Amino acid sequence: MNVAECDRGALHTITVHDFSARLSEQVIHFHVMRLDGGFLLWVGTSPTLSNLAVSMNSKFDAMPISMLLMGDQSETAPNALAQRLAKKTKKQVFVSYNLPVVNSNLALQVESRIKTEMENHPEHF
Amino acid sequence: MRDTAREFRSVTERQSRPNQSVPQSGKSSFPVLCSMQGLTMSTAQPMIKSRQAEKEINGIRTQVVCTEFNNYILVVLTQYGKMGSLVSITADSTSSDVSTPMFSTKVLMGKDEPLTHVCAKNLATRVSQEAGNRPVLLGLALKDTSIEAVKLMRDLITSCQVW
Repeated sequence: MNVAECDRGALHTITVHDFSARLSEQVIHFHVMRLDGGFLLWVGTSPTLSNLAVSMNSKFDAMPISMLLMGDQSETAPNALAQRLAKKTKKQVFVSYNLPVVNSNLALQVESRIKTEMENHPEHF
Repeated sequence: MRDTAREFRSVTERQSRPNQSVPQSGKSSFPVLCSMQGLTMSTAQPMIKSRQAEKEINGIRTQVVCTEFNNYILVVLTQYGKMGSLVSITADSTSSDVSTPMFSTKVLMGKDEPLTHVCAKNLATRVSQEAGNRPVLLGLALKDTSIEAVKLMRDLITSCQVW
């Protein structure tokens, strides 16, 4: 049964996509892993994974459910970003946000950069 | 190679003319980024290193994506194309350098059942050891959890070594 599924190409192929942007005088890197029905997005300036949030839509609430799986529970940025991206894409979204939270302006710029990339390259999300 | 040459030339050009202003507006070009960062970094070269592989194991299409971070190795092993369960595997720091450490597993998301822990430990211990006891974050979505399949999956993970 599964073999037939494979032959028809029914299974999703994971793809990886990288891009970067210069925001608030620093180079911010983005890494996207596209999965079946969702994606993982990493944002940062150095290759560390300090937190991970997951978010997905629920029929019980207009706002997607979000949860921090890893990292400092007091950090709301990864959750907030995951939630907004889940709402926008209707997909299961994993977010690792590795930037200082003090700069809320940067967070907005990061989000708008992600949205631009989503519009220009929807095939990667 | 050509990029490196161009970068070197533009950096030296700027150094010889220190009063010349660095273009700030619009999209900054690659050499400008390099000189400003003070390190050789290319926009074409992603910051995150990742490798992926695919194989049919017992007739089931199996995909692996390994991603390297400073503090973690992320391994997504899937037969559904999805993330599935997320398990964190960490080497216990209590053991001495002489003996090989023990590994503890924690299910961050998904079914927290013994089989998940067994599979995770089986698949990720070697990865962590080879990566200098770095913790491993493992995404597991398996249809087949037989020991034969797990052994083949272990080899598949090793085939996309990023650590």
